[in-house]
Order: sequence, then structure tokens, then C-alpha cells
Amino acid sequence: MPIPEGKPGACSKASGVAAFLALAVIVAVSLPPVPTAAVQNGATTGSISAVVRLSAPARRLNTTGAYPSRRVAVAPQRAASELENVVVFVRRPQAEPPAPSHVEIRQLNEEFVPHLVAVTTGSTVNFPNDDLVFHNVFSLSSAATFDLGRYPQRKSKARTFPKTGIVKVFCHLHSHMNAIVRVFDHPYFARVGEDGRFTIGGLEPGRHEVVAWHERVGEANASVVVAAGEATEAAFTLPLAD
Amino acid sequence: MPMSRLSSGHAPRLAVWITGVSFTVIGGVLGLTFLVLSWQTQSRLRRAAADDLEGSQQRFADIEARRTRERRLQAVALAENPTLKAAVDTYVSEMGQGTASADLLPTIRHEVVKLADLMGVPALALVENGTVLASAGRRANDWPAGARVSWVEPAEGDEVVISRGPSLFLATTVPLQLGPDLLGTVVLATPLDDAYANSLSAGARADVVIFHQGKVVASSTTGALGAEIASVALPAAGPVIVNGQELVVRRLAQLGSTAVYAVSSVASAATATTSEVTRVMFFVGALALLLAGAASLWLARTLARPIDALTESLARMAETKDLDGPLPRSGISREMDALADSFDTLRSAVSQAEAESDAAYLGVIGALAAALDARDPYTAGHSQRVAALSVLLAKEMTLPEQDRETLRLGALLHDIGKIGINDNVLRKPGKLTAEEFDHIKLHPVLGARILQPLTFLAPHLPVVELHHERPDGRGYPHGLRGDDIPLFARIVHVADAFDAMTSARAYRPARPAAEAMAELWRNVGTDFDPRVVQAMAAVWDTKLVQHAGDAGAVAAPFRDPVSTTLPFRLRAARAPQPVG
Repeated sequence: MPIPEGKPGACSKASGVAAFLALAVIVAVSLPPVPTAAVQNGATTGSISAVVRLSAPARRLNTTGAYPSRRVAVAPQRAASELENVVVFVRRPQAEPPAPSHVEIRQLNEEFVPHLVAVTTGSTVNFPNDDLVFHNVFSLSSAATFDLGRYPQRKSKARTFPKTGIVKVFCHLHSHMNAIVRVFDHPYFARVGEDGRFTIGGLEPGRHEVVAWHERVGEANASVVVAAGEATEAAFTLPLAD
Repeated sequence: MPMSRLSSGHAPRLAVWITGVSFTVIGGVLGLTFLVLSWQTQSRLRRAAADDLEGSQQRFADIEARRTRERRLQAVALAENPTLKAAVDTYVSEMGQGTASADLLPTIRHEVVKLADLMGVPALALVENGTVLASAGRRANDWPAGARVSWVEPAEGDEVVISRGPSLFLATTVPLQLGPDLLGTVVLATPLDDAYANSLSAGARADVVIFHQGKVVASSTTGALGAEIASVALPAAGPVIVNGQELVVRRLAQLGSTAVYAVSSVASAATATTSEVTRVMFFVGALALLLAGAASLWLARTLARPIDALTESLARMAETKDLDGPLPRSGISREMDALADSFDTLRSAVSQAEAESDAAYLGVIGALAAALDARDPYTAGHSQRVAALSVLLAKEMTLPEQDRETLRLGALLHDIGKIGINDNVLRKPGKLTAEEFDHIKLHPVLGARILQPLTFLAPHLPVVELHHERPDGRGYPHGLRGDDIPLFARIVHVADAFDAMTSARAYRPARPAAEAMAELWRNVGTDFDPRVVQAMAAVWDTKLVQHAGDAGAVAAPFRDPVSTTLPFRLRAARAPQPVG
């Protein structure tokens, strides 16, 4: 008997998870437009707000179990947390160089919190260690390759991200710890909230390509027309990219 | 009685018999014992082999379970390598973006090589999305980067057999995880080859054959056994005959269509033991046969000795015709002694019967002679007297006693032919004519013809037929000369003539003995044999014959034809058998 051809033994991150995760990004443009602060202020830009839904929860793989890494505390279980790992951004907007910002990714209970941050180029991310154990922060990504070394509790190290791209951040001491820093050269992006809602403001009127991105699902695109001084809320679905 | 000679040519000797039988019996018993022992050894070894394999299976299961568990633990631990995880995650992510750093793949490969070194496995591959991303180990060539790999996901913790080109690998698969994400699979692969079978064989302490889809892919056995065993449907455990060779097999493990069997040859184990048994049996057998041979020979000789002694005694008895003495007793065999007893009894009975029959036939002869004599009063007692005188002469001539007896009977019957002669010729008182005399001359031949059918009288026939032959050849019936005439006939011729001369006839009186003696001398050499006449003279001289010329002395018997009275007294001669 030949060995029956089975399903592929190793699943890629994307395809494997895609089988379980369906991400629906619904961009709801409100009709009639709800007056926004920008409109009320007579601004010349509009905004997009929408609700992102995950059609199924992302598969939580059990750890291999045979060799679990130490935990100093049990991480609290957060419902629909995967929604917070979705970032929505406008592709190739005409924009001025954004202002750099400072954000934080904390190292807590052997996890990077939050898992995902989106920043403008030149921004600095702080990595404070809240755990009792040493942590490390490093990345092999082409957008930013670095290693901040190991440091103990109550210490923090920072890293500035001058290039756009996806930067995957890991800890050398705890192999399961990982975080993502998404770097944009414009300000038109937003992390989706716990409720799936987001708003991107300050957009030029006209047609915009909007992209929702999740690290395992990949990208979903939508075309949205934004009117000046209006908070556009339109209900449409961004189909999953195959 | 030549008993031993009668049977000696046909039947084997007793010693040969006894030795042969005891050898056959002992040989048979030894052979049977050997067969039974061999068979028992075989079955015991078969059981032992099966038990061994059961032990092998347990050892194998223990060893393999521990090895699998340890390898998995080790692999899982090593798969927690943060650099590898980070590199793979980043690489896969950036490949999707098309922005992968050129450093990432070398980093991944470096980590994989490190892992392979730490694990010490023949092949370690990192498989991502069904494709080999990187591999290391001495069999890494079977797992080239970019190659598609597939397998049936085994149950948690189990190993799986993966086919790579012509080779089969036994693989431990460990997921490379990043939090909830599956980055890829680390495959630790060991080729299923003879070296692996040998390592299993050392652990299981039995020969190991590995099958895949019914074909032998690896074997710890040398030679053709591995190939031959594939031709047989193997049970999970038990005996099986492969190419005439008895094997005991046990399935140690089954992974999909791959099976690992422990194989033990009963025959090879049996050969060693059996050869030892054979050696011992050979020595025991040789010793037993030697002892049996010695004992049989001793027994045969012990049995044969009295028989031989008895046979020898009987042979000697037959040779000497001395049947009087009793046979010797063996003293060691009651049966032999009983045989000798019976033989003695038989012998005495036979002797008695012989004596009786001797007496009977002598009586018949005497009666014949007497009947003849009685026909003519003038010849009454003639035969008896001639017989007595012949014996005296023979004694004088120192003939052995046996000859004298032959002579006596012959003399007694010498004139029996006269039965066939006419009475008027025989009893003619006057001179016979030539014709009558010719008729008379027929009586020796007639006598011989009458007695011829009586075979026991054969020795006496020459006397009857030839007692009228003369040394000068002028006798009758054949005219024989000198020494051609048997001595007995010559003796009887002289005795006959003497008695005839000294007896009265119807036509003449009896002549005195001295005159008769002179007459003998006068015709010596022509009518009478000189030696016999000389003996007659000697007998005459010793006065054995007294009153021989006394006519009165011889007259008495004439009137009594059956009387045994002789015209002379016999001394020392054996008394003739009484007649009537």
C-alpha cells in the first residue's frame, strides 16, 4: 500500500490560519453623513469609519506542551483580541511627512502588549519590561534589524523606526513572544478597536483605496469615496483576499 | 551322528545371531532416543525462540518508546529556538510582501544545522507549507530545499514513515510554533536501512527485518533470508516456514504499511544444540555398542561352548561308533543338560533296537542256512561248520574282528544258492554226470542273486558268489585268478573243501582230517590259497580242530539237521547264534 497522500504536513502561517479565520472588514459609510468635528469646523478633509469583524476566531494553537516556557502569571484571556491585531490603512495617499510619535509595547506576562502597533516613520517604540524576568527585544526584519539586548524589570529600551514596512519583534529568551510594528510614511491608518470600529480622519476628498491587514489573514482591499468635511460612513464589505 | 555338520552350512553361528540381535536392538533404541531427543529439542527451541522474540518485542517496545519520547522531548525543546522561530516567521512574512532580507534564509539554515548537530539525527528538515525550507545532516541530500514533502499526520507523539525518493525515513515531526501560529514543522528523519535494522537488532537481541508495502527494505540478517522472507505472509507472531527453513517471527511495530519484524531461526539455534546432542549420543552409542558387543560375544560363547562340546562328543561318538558312554554334561545350562539326557536316552534306546534288529537278521540268516542244510542229511551242519572254521582261519590270519564277523556270515550263507538246485541232483547218491555237475556249479551265482536285494548283506556277497574260485583260474563261476579272488572267498573255499572232505557222503565215507589236510597241501597254489592253507595247518597244529577225522563224531549231526553241534569243539571262538 502506498502511503496515502495526505494534507500538507506543515501549514504556512497564512494558509493554515486562513482556513479558520475569516476576516470581514465592513466599512460602513454613514448615509446621511453624520456631522463630524471636521465638518463642524469647516475642514476640507473627510474621514472613514467602519466596523471590522472576524467571521471566526483565529485558531489558538496550543503550545507544544512538552516544553512550555515559564510563566510568571497567567495571561488574561481577552475576547476577540484578534480584532486589535488588524490595522486599516489608506494605500498611497498624497500626504505630507507625518509627525513622529512615541508608543509603547510593554513586556508583560511574557507577552508583548499590545501585539501590534502602527506608527509613522521616525517614531520611537519603547519596550519597558514589566516582568520579574529578563526580556530581550530583537528583529530580523528587513525594515529594521536590531537587538536591544537583555534587560531586567523596570528597565525600558527604545527603538526608532525610520523605514516603512512590517517589523516583527521577538524575544530571545521567550520564543513564543512576538509583536509587530507596522511603520507607515503617512498618518492615514488606524488600529481596529476591541469593538471592531476604527476611524481614519483628515483624508482628502475623493476615491481612496483602503486596506485592512492582519498578519495571518493578509490584506483585504476596499475602494471608498470620501467627501470633504464629511465623516463618510458607508456599509460595504471588503472580501478576503485569497 | 553328524548333527553339527548338517546345519553348519546354512544358518549363521549363534554368536553372530546374538551379537546381531543385541546390536540391532541397542542401535534401534539409540536411534529412537536420538530422534525423540532431536524432536524435543526442536520443539523446545521453537518455544524458546518464540519466548525470546516476545522478550525482544517488549525490549524493542520499551527501547523504542523511550527513544521516541526522548527524541520528541529533545526536538520540542530545540524547536523552541527563538532565532529559528523569528527567522522563519519573518522570512515567511516578508516573502509574502516580497521584501525578504537575503540574510534570513542563511540564518534559518544555520539554525537548522545547529539543531541537526545537537540532535545527532541523520536528517533534519524544516518543512514549511509542504516544502523543505532547509535541511541538514548526512542524509540532507534526500531532503533538498524546495522539495515537496507529504505524509500522513500521525497520532500525537507517534512517528511516521516518510518516503523520500528510493529511501524510507522514520520521522519524528515537531511543530514550530509561534504563540498560536504554526510556522512550520521540524522533521527528524532516520533512514530505514540495514544499519538501522542492525541497531534495532542489537537492542531487540534478534534479527530484524523491515518491510514496506510487503517488500523488505532493510534487514539485519545477512544472506538471502531477508529476500526470501518477503515471499511469505507473516503472522503477527508465530512460526513460519520460509524456503524449508523454520523461523519464528514477531511483529515489533507497525507504522502504516511499514512493519518491523523480529526473526529468529529455529534451525540455526537447533543446529548448535542438536550437534552437541549428536556428539554425546555418538559417544554414548559407541560405548553402548562396544559393551553390547562384548556382552553378546561373552553370552554367545557361554551358550555356544556346551553346544560345541556336545556336538564334538557326538561327532567323536559317530566316528568311533562307540555309542556306549554317556554324553558329558555342560554344568552351566540346564537346557543343554536336558538335551544330553534326552540324547542319552535316545541313544540307549537306539542301541537296544539295533542289537535287537542285529539279532533278528542273524536269526533269519541262520534259519536260511539251516533250512538249506536240512535238505540233505549229508550236508547237515555244513554251513555252521564252514562258518566256524572260516572264523578260526581268519583269526589265525589276524584279520580284524569286524572282518571275521563279515566272513562268518558270508560263510554261513555260502551255499544258499543250492536252494535253486534240484533235489535229485543235490541229493543224488552216486557220481554226478557232467551235466548235473554244471547244474550244481550254478549255485554261487544263484546264491548271489538271491541275496542281492538284501542290501545289508552286500559285504557278504563276494563270499557267496566266489567261494568256488581257484587261484589257478580253474574255479567257477568266473575263473578268477590269484589275488583277484577276495580273501574271504579263498578262506571259505578252503574251509568248505576241508569240511566236505571230512564229511561223509552218500557215495563215500568221511575222510580223516589228516588226510584232508594232506589233500589241501597237495593242491596248494592250484586249488587252495597258500596263506589260507598255512593258516589251516596252524589251526590244525594248535589242535583247535580235534577229532576231525573221527567219523563217529561227525555222524551225529547228520541225524539232526538243526543241531548246532560241530564235528569239532571250538574254543575261544564267538558262539554262533542259536537257531530256531
